[in-house]
Amino acid sequence: MKKPRQVPSPLTQLTLVEACDGVAKGEISSVDLTKAALSAFDAGDKAINSAIALDRDEALAAAEGLDKLRKAGRTLGCLHGVPLAHKDMYYRAGKPCTCGSKIRKDFRPTYTATAIERLEQAGSVTLGTLNMAEFAQNPTGHNAHFGHCHNPWGLDYCTGGSSSGSGAAVAARFIYGALGSDTGGSIRLPASICGVTGIKATQTRVSRHGAMPLSFSADNVGPLARTARDCARLLRVIAGYDPADPTSSSEPVPDYEAALDGDIRGMVIGLPTNFFFDGADPEVQQAFDAAMRVLEARGARTVKIAIPHMDAINTYVSVISRVEGATIHAEWMRGRPQDYAIHLSGRLYAGFGIPAVHYLEALSRRGPILRALGREVFSKVDVFATPTLRLKVPTLAATDIDADTPGAVEAFTAVSINTRAINYMGLPSVSVPCGFDSNGLPIGVQIQGRPFGEGRILRLADAYQRDTDWHKRRPKLAAG
Amino acid sequence: MSKKIERLVKEQAATWSTVKPPNSAGEEFATGLGDVLRGFEKLRGELAFEDEPSSFEAALQETKERNP
Repeated sequence: MKKPRQVPSPLTQLTLVEACDGVAKGEISSVDLTKAALSAFDAGDKAINSAIALDRDEALAAAEGLDKLRKAGRTLGCLHGVPLAHKDMYYRAGKPCTCGSKIRKDFRPTYTATAIERLEQAGSVTLGTLNMAEFAQNPTGHNAHFGHCHNPWGLDYCTGGSSSGSGAAVAARFIYGALGSDTGGSIRLPASICGVTGIKATQTRVSRHGAMPLSFSADNVGPLARTARDCARLLRVIAGYDPADPTSSSEPVPDYEAALDGDIRGMVIGLPTNFFFDGADPEVQQAFDAAMRVLEARGARTVKIAIPHMDAINTYVSVISRVEGATIHAEWMRGRPQDYAIHLSGRLYAGFGIPAVHYLEALSRRGPILRALGREVFSKVDVFATPTLRLKVPTLAATDIDADTPGAVEAFTAVSINTRAINYMGLPSVSVPCGFDSNGLPIGVQIQGRPFGEGRILRLADAYQRDTDWHKRRPKLAAG
Repeated sequence: MSKKIERLVKEQAATWSTVKPPNSAGEEFATGLGDVLRGFEKLRGELAFEDEPSSFEAALQETKERNP
């Protein structure tokens, strides 16, 4: 594998908020930021393979336009001039959108995703598209069509998926932030495994208009970035009701960033006594425990709590996305099953065998189970925390179903065991880096709040990052 | 059980959706549905449909953060 060359560019070291502030103050130009990001991709991405397509000329032209605007005394919004790149499943009118697949390699949507529109209206420059699991359907980052995405902390290790390129590109300091999507952990897993911060908001919080569907009951659009503050800024821009997505919530969107004051005194953090720590790797457990001590030192309190109905949640969640995925892919599964990766067509196929009565049972229990969580958990704690991934980061080889690796199906399935239950609950969940394992791969903690409690979980995540530097550590392969 | 569930999935996928097993991984994932089926069996009687009209979205509102 080719080793990337180092690019000394302090601009790539900035957080998204620092880059935004630099542009706003006239200390940095959007063109400089965009060139630095493009150079970083050029220098490092041959090894990591996080990008699918970069729109160089268009991005630089947009950056020039934004610089002219700022010099004229106008700014578009809180992301003015900052380059972003996104998982290749967000539609942009007239632009290829592969969804990481062979089937959609020539697909050009005729309209643009609301999340992309809102980010660009706030002044961001869209640099291009990022690698992902085919049709967002695996938790590891394998991709048979565009090549696997490699973890910047260790190229033999998986990045987590399905937003593999988003996690890897942010970790490698190629880009300041990226959209991912999360149906069973696809934002939080690459965030945890690549050592960055990622938030899946409450189900319905962010419009899904123009986002490739995987499972219409559990899909979420959200950001990955270097810090909780970066995520707070990005989430505020994309959250909120969208008439083009009638399933999006009209709940008001708070100023998440303004509430990041480091004050978490009196917050009660639940530590699940069941399920989430079963068979946890001792190194993961140790890092998690240390993270809780940091939050306690800031004034939070931890208490043990049982999470109700975990057997039901795990049974039901395994049905919903499989059936909805099979429904969405039925025509292609009939007509061109050979064009999917082996693991994906295999996974989709099983969804056709689940009876509708079981699918509807799984959907119908979601409300009662959420109410039980409200009564039995959130009446006692403000949030609950778990490891994002309870095992050490696996290698790409160990989880490669397509290569017929013995045990790969089990290893692959184990990756998302702590995240997918949260999608069934519909809760907001943020993953922040909290250490490294003995292989040098990151460990993450995920914090869940009540529905529409994004502000609270971001406040905890930000408070944690004020006292730790895990999120500041850079892989050797990182730009700069 | 594993062979039975694999056969059931094959029949249902073919009969209702005209979808064939694409590969051995598909058969392995189908076999894995045995665990899901056992999960449903264990849950019988634990939870029921609610008599009154409701929805997951309503539950999100009922349980939401009051001081976001």
